[in-house]
Amino acid sequence: MVIDDSRAMRMILKRIVAKLNFEAIEAGDGQEALDLLATMTEVPELALIDWNMPNMNGLEFVTKVRAEPRLREMTLVMVTTESEQSQIVRALAAGAHEYVIKPFTEGAMIEKLALLGLVPTGANS
Amino acid sequence: MSVETVVTQDDLAEMVEQVWVSYLDPEGVSPLVLTGDEKQATEVHSTVSITGTWHGHLVYACSLQAAKKAAAAFLAMEEDEVGQEDTSDVLGELANIVGGNVKAMLPAGCFLSLPTVVLAPDTASYYPAAEQISGLYGVWDGQPISITMWQSVKQGEASA
Amino acid sequence: MTLSQADFAFVSTLVRREAAIVLAPGKEYLVEARLIPVARQVGAASVNEFLANLQRKPNPDDQRRIIDALTTNETSWFRDREPFTALTDVVLPELVKSRGSARKLRLWSAASSSGQEAYSLAITLQEALPAGWSYEIMGSDISTEMIKRAEQAEYSQVEVNRGLPATQLVQYFERVGAHWRVAPHLRRNVSFKHMNLTAPLPSIPQFDVIFLRNVLIYFDVATKKSVLRNVARLLRPDGWLFLGAAETTIGIDDNYERVAAGRTSAYRVRSAVPAGAARKG
Repeated sequence: MVIDDSRAMRMILKRIVAKLNFEAIEAGDGQEALDLLATMTEVPELALIDWNMPNMNGLEFVTKVRAEPRLREMTLVMVTTESEQSQIVRALAAGAHEYVIKPFTEGAMIEKLALLGLVPTGANS
Repeated sequence: MSVETVVTQDDLAEMVEQVWVSYLDPEGVSPLVLTGDEKQATEVHSTVSITGTWHGHLVYACSLQAAKKAAAAFLAMEEDEVGQEDTSDVLGELANIVGGNVKAMLPAGCFLSLPTVVLAPDTASYYPAAEQISGLYGVWDGQPISITMWQSVKQGEASA
Repeated sequence: MTLSQADFAFVSTLVRREAAIVLAPGKEYLVEARLIPVARQVGAASVNEFLANLQRKPNPDDQRRIIDALTTNETSWFRDREPFTALTDVVLPELVKSRGSARKLRLWSAASSSGQEAYSLAITLQEALPAGWSYEIMGSDISTEMIKRAEQAEYSQVEVNRGLPATQLVQYFERVGAHWRVAPHLRRNVSFKHMNLTAPLPSIPQFDVIFLRNVLIYFDVATKKSVLRNVARLLRPDGWLFLGAAETTIGIDDNYERVAAGRTSAYRVRSAVPAGAARKG
């Protein structure tokens, strides 16, 4: 799942995860993402989440997801401009598994996903 | 506290360069070339506001062509395919990214607004009670781009 | 001024061999743009002259400059992952057993470049060593500019995004302006020294683990031999040597034996490999 209020950023992320054989479902904010998840029978493996979004921000989304047993298996990666140490700590404490600071290069994103075991062996940027 | 000393012009330049390295010029062949030309005209711009322990704005302004070029890079399209919505979206995201990184260098307790985009020259927006404290001016493949930082000034308060 | 086919082929082969980066035809402009500052730095009149000189007289330093210029932002923390995992899973537990009285380890990142490898080693040890143990990491490089960079221990946002888990970023780094700097509690265990591996090395206490990764490939066989010989003198008899993914001592130096280390290989001095160590069949 790619959750960001910027369509441009969603496009960048979609392209990257497509290289890793992921099909991306898009949402423009945390609430939209939760609504979509409620309708899905198969929970996505991975969510790339922006922080600052209207309606429900990324931190709230992460908190809500981690509270729901059905969504336990989702790997949650923040992708955001929020780059203060304290913000990263907050996100990790709320249950995010990894954190990517914008701007990020494609190689960096793929490496972060590799850290989480989400890159099929042989895939290379 | 004078925020220019917390966020130097070099810091701003470095953050902007990283945006180019990451999204707009990953191959390193068409960088943003800084010219210092404060007089250059722009056609569109986007703004994020910073509030909390520090008040001000970050403005990203450029020509329409530069905006389309950026959108084309983000959206993997041809420049002539880029529509107005895409252009606005990318302008907003660029202000968001630079603004977010600037915020991280400011005193703790700042918040970033969502971006606003205006498809008109940056002179069309007036920031009441704010003065410009920093600015980068350059060209990208011949197209003007400027990134400026503004600090709110309270009535009757001398600037630090 | 455009890069000749021969020059482009030369550079492509170099980067493919050394950095596993493929430069497709059509990227001549990219190579040229990136090499202009390098040519200037070494005092060549042009990129063509720089490359002509280099092809006539191979020079590992200049080769490295080319790689650095074409792989900017590609340097990663915990490069290739597996040697660091091997350290945590195999090497450190063994060393902890055998160094029980001293409770101190010395590691060397030979060719430390901008310091990421040395600090990655520090993080690995910080997390894997039991309480009461200390460690010292020496990074060395032939470039004084790189030594200075490594000592500064400051990295850009783009650089810290590469291969560094977020939990470690917040634990071992602090923000300094637009950069992230390695925190003092980690830096105090890491030092850097200017060193030329092809020259006789100073007499310093031997190391338990040496990372000599992606350096040998720049040298011809004779130089590889002398580097490995020099390095062996600074490796403890039961120490571990890690080379780059595509490198080996086999065929170059019989004094080393390749052993399995987790999912990768390491090299140990042949005569003193203890009976219990894993041997590669």
